[in-house]
Amino acid sequence: MSDLPIKNKIRECRFFADEMTQQQLADQVDVTRQTIMAIEKGKYSPSLEVAFKIAHAFGKSLDEVFEYLPEVD
Amino acid sequence: MDMSFKEKSAWISLVSTLLIFGYYFYHVFGLTNLPTEEAKSVIAGLALKAIILIIIVESVFHGMLSMTNRKAAERGADERDKSIELQATSYSYWVLTIGVMFCLGRMVILEFNPEFSEHRSFQMPFLTVHILLFSFILSEVIRFAGQIVLYRRGF
Repeated sequence: MSDLPIKNKIRECRFFADEMTQQQLADQVDVTRQTIMAIEKGKYSPSLEVAFKIAHAFGKSLDEVFEYLPEVD
Repeated sequence: MDMSFKEKSAWISLVSTLLIFGYYFYHVFGLTNLPTEEAKSVIAGLALKAIILIIIVESVFHGMLSMTNRKAAERGADERDKSIELQATSYSYWVLTIGVMFCLGRMVILEFNPEFSEHRSFQMPFLTVHILLFSFILSEVIRFAGQIVLYRRGF
């Protein structure tokens, strides 16, 4: 399970983008498929630039794909 | 196991470094009983063999990896690869620093206490070189292993 405060809806976005594959998204964003996989699973927080590129690939704004959920005590 | 090009590259470097320099140090640290001149020629032969082997093995396996992953080889490192490399290099830096500090400390102690250098364990030729080389190889092993652990963890 992910313990990073940044959550994403990449899997859902890929589904609604005609079942876009991780490789297709990786090619558009210019990162490796393993990096997309790590971001999708919440194991890696991308840079702002890559986050914008991912949102742009789905034609969405950044906060429609990523959200910040800090832990509340 | 789903591995990126850079992770496979780290595995190749880790395994080849461990095997080749493991063999080298296993034989070098067993040379304390040989006469100095004989030990020097054995070490020179072993070092030459290890250097040639590491160049051949790394070139052949990395060449094969690049040929089978042409697209990934051409693209190079992405931002996660670079972050992982930086993090692993910082682990490796500490190991190298400790090795260099140990070597400097040993030299200072021997300068003040020359009688220590007569101890049998200090009789190996190129001992200072080997302490530094061992620190360097160990730091490289930590770097490759660190990269692999970080790739497996996600980062």
